[in-house]
Amino acid sequence: MAIKLDSLEVKRDILWRVYLSFLIIIMISIIIIGKAAYIQQFEGAYWRSKSDSLHQKVVQLVAERGTIYSEDGSMLSTSIPYFDVYIDFGADGLREKNGKRFSDNVDSLSHHLAAFFKDQDKAAYKKQLQKGYKSRNRYYSLKKKLSFDQYKTVRNFPLIRQGRNKSGFIAEVKSTRLNPFGLLANRTIGLARTNAQNVGLERTYDDLLRGEDGRKLVRFIAGGVSVPIEGYEIEPENGRDIITTLDVNIQDIAENSLLKVMTENECEQGTCIVMEVATGKVKAIANLGRRADGTYWEDLNYAIRASEPGSTFKLASMLSVLEDKHVTIQDRVNLEGGKWKIGRRTVYDSEHHGKYDVTIKEAFAESSNVGMAKLVSTYYTKNPDGFIRHLRKLHFDKISDVGVVGETSPIIKTTASKTWSATTLPWMAFGYEVLVSPMQILMLYNAVANNGTMMKPYLVSSIQKNGITIKENEPIVVEEQICTKETLKQLRESLEGVMTEGTGKTLQNPFYTIAGKTGTALVANGKRGYADHIYQSSFAGYFPADHPKYSCIVVIKNKPNAKKFYGAAVAGPVFKEIADKLYALNIQNNTVLKRALNLKKDSTGFFYSGEVNDVKYVMNTLNVSYKDSSANDGWSSLYSSNFQPVVNTRMMEKKVVPNLTGMGLKDALYLLENMGLRVAVKGKGKVASQSLDTGSRFSKGDILIIQLN
Amino acid sequence: MDQLLNRTKGDKVIWAIVALLAMASLLAVYSSTGSLAYRMNKSTESYLFKQVAFILIGVAVIYFAHRVNYTIYSRVALILFLIAIPLLIYTLFFGVRLNEGSRWIRLPIIRLTFQTSDLAKLALFMYLSRLLSKKQNVIKDFRKGFLPVILPIGIVCVLIAPANLSTALLIGATSMLLLFIGRVSVKHLFLVVVIGMIPLMLLILAAVYQHSSEDGSRTHAAAGSKLFARVGTWVNRMENFMYGGKNADDEDSYQINQAKIAISKGGVLGLGPGNSQTRDFLPHPYSDFIYAIIIEEYGLVGGAFILFVYLVFLFRSIRIFRKCPYAFGAFLSLGLSFTLVIQALANMAVNVNLFPVTGVTLPLVSMGGSSFLFTCLAIGIILSVARNVDQLEGSKLVTLKNEE
Repeated sequence: MAIKLDSLEVKRDILWRVYLSFLIIIMISIIIIGKAAYIQQFEGAYWRSKSDSLHQKVVQLVAERGTIYSEDGSMLSTSIPYFDVYIDFGADGLREKNGKRFSDNVDSLSHHLAAFFKDQDKAAYKKQLQKGYKSRNRYYSLKKKLSFDQYKTVRNFPLIRQGRNKSGFIAEVKSTRLNPFGLLANRTIGLARTNAQNVGLERTYDDLLRGEDGRKLVRFIAGGVSVPIEGYEIEPENGRDIITTLDVNIQDIAENSLLKVMTENECEQGTCIVMEVATGKVKAIANLGRRADGTYWEDLNYAIRASEPGSTFKLASMLSVLEDKHVTIQDRVNLEGGKWKIGRRTVYDSEHHGKYDVTIKEAFAESSNVGMAKLVSTYYTKNPDGFIRHLRKLHFDKISDVGVVGETSPIIKTTASKTWSATTLPWMAFGYEVLVSPMQILMLYNAVANNGTMMKPYLVSSIQKNGITIKENEPIVVEEQICTKETLKQLRESLEGVMTEGTGKTLQNPFYTIAGKTGTALVANGKRGYADHIYQSSFAGYFPADHPKYSCIVVIKNKPNAKKFYGAAVAGPVFKEIADKLYALNIQNNTVLKRALNLKKDSTGFFYSGEVNDVKYVMNTLNVSYKDSSANDGWSSLYSSNFQPVVNTRMMEKKVVPNLTGMGLKDALYLLENMGLRVAVKGKGKVASQSLDTGSRFSKGDILIIQLN
Repeated sequence: MDQLLNRTKGDKVIWAIVALLAMASLLAVYSSTGSLAYRMNKSTESYLFKQVAFILIGVAVIYFAHRVNYTIYSRVALILFLIAIPLLIYTLFFGVRLNEGSRWIRLPIIRLTFQTSDLAKLALFMYLSRLLSKKQNVIKDFRKGFLPVILPIGIVCVLIAPANLSTALLIGATSMLLLFIGRVSVKHLFLVVVIGMIPLMLLILAAVYQHSSEDGSRTHAAAGSKLFARVGTWVNRMENFMYGGKNADDEDSYQINQAKIAISKGGVLGLGPGNSQTRDFLPHPYSDFIYAIIIEEYGLVGGAFILFVYLVFLFRSIRIFRKCPYAFGAFLSLGLSFTLVIQALANMAVNVNLFPVTGVTLPLVSMGGSSFLFTCLAIGIILSVARNVDQLEGSKLVTLKNEE
């Protein structure tokens, strides 16, 4: 069947055609190589740079914002990650084989989603997912703001657990700022917001907290994965951690005491500061403002806003006249029955007492405006600067510089001031016509408590970087000696007198002494002046009077025409409760005294401990809502904060005796015997006291007696 | 083993070329499948082993094909052709849709998808060799020579075109070249070219129209039936080729841009084996765009070398043709080698953006698949012709009686 190409002519005819074709092929080949060379030579630079722009990207490495701690190590403000979860419905793995993987898993995935989030039923989830799949959405938002725990669970759901390539599951990590203690010192700790101005420490120390973002150059490789290009990476520098001077327990006590009284009296705003006498450390700072719905929130830092201080300022007047040796506190002054005309104005005492001839100490104890006005005008009318000099020495003309943005400037008038009049001086004597902040008043009382040495108040005790202290703030003395020892002794006697025989009598207790001064000032209400009878009640002082440990000021602005408005009646109880509780905290061993002092049981002060999941289980079963600041597992305590139960992690160190307060017997036994302690038990109920102190060291086999009640 | 080598006959140079291209394919495929392996969640080596397996099977195919006396292929050609036509029709309507066009059918038992056009192409060229050799005496005659030859070409092209226009065009063009070599009247060929140009011109016109209107009309074709779904793609591709891809996210212009990036990065000497960077971005670096990856890794030099290897292959096949005394063997050797090389050039031309983007693989180098095996079969057939030629040369005494 085959045909031979024996005809030479035919073969030759074919041959030239073949060679012609071969020639064409060679020419095309040359063109191809030529084109490739052309691309390289003439377009190469463009394409190579295009390649870089397409495949390389500078990625920002976000620095982790630092954490704000209390002095005892509790987190006051920290960044926690949250996860936004998306599905790429265009993922090859998901769509291959006609979407087999998707259709196989959509039911079980919907089931798990519905069971876990409980916000929609299975059918709704399934419908959503199918809709997303159908539209080939490459960035379908499944869930936003998942916590790490939730994310861990979701990650193990059907389909999602098959990984990004197969499921198209994309998780994006973001971080948000969390204040585990909520309201506590919120204004002072501050807010770090993306779209608004920060406040408080968050703002003051923003530079330190923020850290320095890094950058890296990455090249994208297969499947949207990027690899860093060596040598083009700047590591982010994480933000520093701020260790504040605040003590969570004291802060909690202060905030709750203030809140309780303010709620009772429907006060408008209030502040409370607790300071450590020896150092000037601010241990607690609470600022509450009433909101439209009647609840309270830390809305403004009232502690550092200047206002007319009222009677607590009289201590400065006393100091002045005593220091200049015009009088002693045993000298007498006529109170004119509580009403004294000077120039065209009349000075009234705020409480009717009907007294005339009294000692200066008594006049101070009665908080007599007349007495103070008389003393100051008697000795300084001819020389007002002599009085003002003392106020300057007490730093009333300077801000406290406690380290929080928002401090307003104080005003101490001088004779040169435009508004200076004949009555300015006597009115200044009892705390009017001056603007100073509660913090400044507290500095004075603290100095008196601190044997005359005025400390600079501060909120940040140290700054840490990765757990290593890089800056430690030492206490700073702003005034070595505000007055002579003689004057100081008289001032302290006067302050104690307030409590024993004066306006603070109701706040006394038999166990320790408080020294302090009440204040009741009528405050102006904008244009309406003093007509609304808005009183500012205050109380400043220190305790225990013989060995002062803490100084404290409470300033509360009452509602118009409030029934109770005296300093002793409104601010005093707050002060007393703080003092009582702090005193109790510091004398833990003396249980008798503690019980006597205490601390009447009420529903707002409770404290239970236990394994965290147990505690949560109980709360959930009882259907009580609570704030959760706890870690995943381990021990926790349940206590009240801001009238709301909080479950928080309780650190149990292995080598020291733990704090067992509020723990059930079973938990306490488990914990202690695991640590190698032998336990003796008395009583029934929850642990009330323990024979070895919290934090003390022990050796194996030591006996610990726990008292239950 | 020795026996096997002894029985391995045919053109030694072509055997060497096969080995060379297989080596190149291993290197290029291994380098360029990383991304695919990652996406498919397979190990990096899995595609390498798959390719090794393909090469082994391919070599076996070549071996057995070249052991067959080529004259048998004359009959096989007819049978294959008769099988290919219904398969093409079946594929057109019931084929597996990969990348829109239905080009594939799945073989039931071995679960391998294969492109029917590959089979049809081989069958057609074998059949053409048979026809050309038979009709040499009447080849210039329109009715007796031209029509019987052009008809099968027409049928195959029309059946392949809807799913795979580029392959159809390529087959058509290669066929024209073969007919030219086979002494078909240039006048007749010219007629075919004119008729073939009509749909092509329409396509170009559509592209021009689309470019000038330039709004959402791109998608309108997709709404139609399966067959018309392809028309939109063709128009888009033509437009992209003619005007350059303006849309960065357009898949075809994206591909060609990436190919250009790969070529640019390669330079004269290349980045070295396994150092391609563009492989992660080129959609099919292991098949359609393997030539760009070769240039990127081995430079212009490497690219030119591969091209040179194909030319040598073609030259050796022409040598076989010259030595082959029988028309069928001669045409078989020419037809199959020209197709193979033209396909290689087409792939390269697409890679350097001389042609619009088509789904043409680089024979023997691109990763596996049915086309790889059909290419091997073609080479086996060429070698079979060469083996017979050698035997004729070796002993002039031997007369192949059955030839007559």
